[in-house]
Amino acid sequence: MDPILYNKIISVGVYGSAIGLILIGLYAVLVKKHLTKIVIGLSIIDSGVHLLFIAVGFIKGGTAPIFSEKGIELVNQGTAMVDPVPQALVLTAIVIGFGVTAVALSLVIRLYRHHHTARIDHIKSLKW
Amino acid sequence: MVISPVHYIALPLLAAFLMPLLAKVNRELVRIIPGVVLTYLLFVSVVLMQRVTETGQPIIETLAGWQAPWGINLVFSQFTGFLVSLMVFMATLIWIFSYRFKKVDNEPALKYYILFMMLVTGSVGVVLTGDIFNMFVFMEITAIASYSLTSFYRDRDGAEAGFKYLLIGSLASTFMLLAILLLYTQVGTLNMAMIAERMHTVPVGMKVTILILFLTGLGIEAEMFPLNGWAPDAYSQAPSPVGATFAALVVKAGVYSLIRVIFTLFDIQGAYQYLIIMGIITLIIAEFAAMKQTNLKRMLAYSSIGQMGFVLIAFGIGTKEAVFGALFLMFNHAIIKSLLFMSGSFFVYNSTSKDINGMSGIGKKFPYMGFLFSIGAFAIVGLPPFSGFWSKLYILIAAADESMLALVAIILLVSIVEIVYYFRVVAKLYFGKPTDKEVVHKPTFGGYFSMTVLAVVILLVGFYPDIITGFIHRAADTLLDKGAYISNVLSMGH
Repeated sequence: MDPILYNKIISVGVYGSAIGLILIGLYAVLVKKHLTKIVIGLSIIDSGVHLLFIAVGFIKGGTAPIFSEKGIELVNQGTAMVDPVPQALVLTAIVIGFGVTAVALSLVIRLYRHHHTARIDHIKSLKW
Repeated sequence: MVISPVHYIALPLLAAFLMPLLAKVNRELVRIIPGVVLTYLLFVSVVLMQRVTETGQPIIETLAGWQAPWGINLVFSQFTGFLVSLMVFMATLIWIFSYRFKKVDNEPALKYYILFMMLVTGSVGVVLTGDIFNMFVFMEITAIASYSLTSFYRDRDGAEAGFKYLLIGSLASTFMLLAILLLYTQVGTLNMAMIAERMHTVPVGMKVTILILFLTGLGIEAEMFPLNGWAPDAYSQAPSPVGATFAALVVKAGVYSLIRVIFTLFDIQGAYQYLIIMGIITLIIAEFAAMKQTNLKRMLAYSSIGQMGFVLIAFGIGTKEAVFGALFLMFNHAIIKSLLFMSGSFFVYNSTSKDINGMSGIGKKFPYMGFLFSIGAFAIVGLPPFSGFWSKLYILIAAADESMLALVAIILLVSIVEIVYYFRVVAKLYFGKPTDKEVVHKPTFGGYFSMTVLAVVILLVGFYPDIITGFIHRAADTLLDKGAYISNVLSMGH
């Protein structure tokens, strides 16, 4: 297959699925009435953003950004290293996303015990 | 030990994680440790502020030995130093206020103090950091601690308020993450000074997209309309000292990040008009909503939103006088709103309901509390000789200097609304018919102490504004001097 076309398909695929994930997540958060589904939506949005981060830092044929003898040798031979910064950011963002999801789920459990329902349209003590 | 800005972040975080262990040694340690840490940080603030004022140069701390554009750095300038010192001062007073919090039960107290220390770490970190992604991380630390503190009480609707806050907050953090990603693809760095330097190379369309994503992400913590739906519920459901913490620390960190992004990172003229317009909308809607509230804490929350709108307007005017007024108002809002939340919470405890009507005549049974609340109410509407008067005056003068007379008119009209709903409460306290209910919840000694300190500060700044204006003037100068910020941070590497 023509390498340029191949690259194009890959990048459209990756960026497209990242944006698709964000949209799916937004749909779940905005439309779904079940608290757990909303939390799932939030974490799908997160995954989309993380994929976008990784896609931005990717270089085709690039080597891992590790400062080792092998890595230096490869760079000297003309191989590019992929950008390590987005990967570091994604790692941090995943941890934060995990924390937020955990807090969210614990709140969902508390809400369910308090109101005996997990549907957002049935919980109306405060003004939504 | 050499005193450095790193202590602001390292010590509260360390304390937060050590506390579960220390609780096993001695139950009382859980309450003492946060105070020790905060008192030490207050000392650090005094030393560093003195150093910064003497040299006129910011203290820039590189972490882990990586120099400016590559590593994360902390910037303690006269501007960030002023805000950090204010936050630490307020956190110390809130600690004194809540020293006996959950006296009977040790487990909730432990959780409360851990989350409180995390909140201090996060909001101080947001102000100190010089790295945009690091700011995001600290923002999330603040946010997660806030969600948990909002839903602290199991028997209230805390979980609902917390979930609402979490929903808005985590969507916002996604927007901020996207903004950081786009910014990184454009300028190839995360250091804020470097971003500011390279910003002119970014195409205008891209710049506006990134700015809008940032404003959506940061406007949440800054209580900017229409992203402030969480605030009234969170303030009314959270424990009372937490309400004061939100007003004094979390919102200040939010406004700081908004201002840092608009003033230092971006140089778009339209952003200032945007701030004014959003500020006006926030101010008007919040103040009218506050007038309609029957629940005291919700009223205070809406008033807090309104004050933040006022701060945004002042920053939006953008002149040196206006920025001075805005910083002064941020200072005033922190001390006055905390006093109102602290004293107001005792009325709520001792009344039949959370409603303002339930507090009828409580000022007669509870004269000192009523007096403190009245000082707060008079100060926040801007009556002389209280400190709130000066900040309002400076902002009005700044607006008039720019011949924005419509703005002056709006601010004055909204002030009348503010007077109406605050004086309604004060009148109820003193002239309402007392209910039969006895005063059961008296403030602790710590409660009396911290509220008295706040009231004294309000009066002192009201009579002698000069004691604080010097710091605020230098802070405003530092904020507006973008070139100095860039060169100071980046020259560290050479």
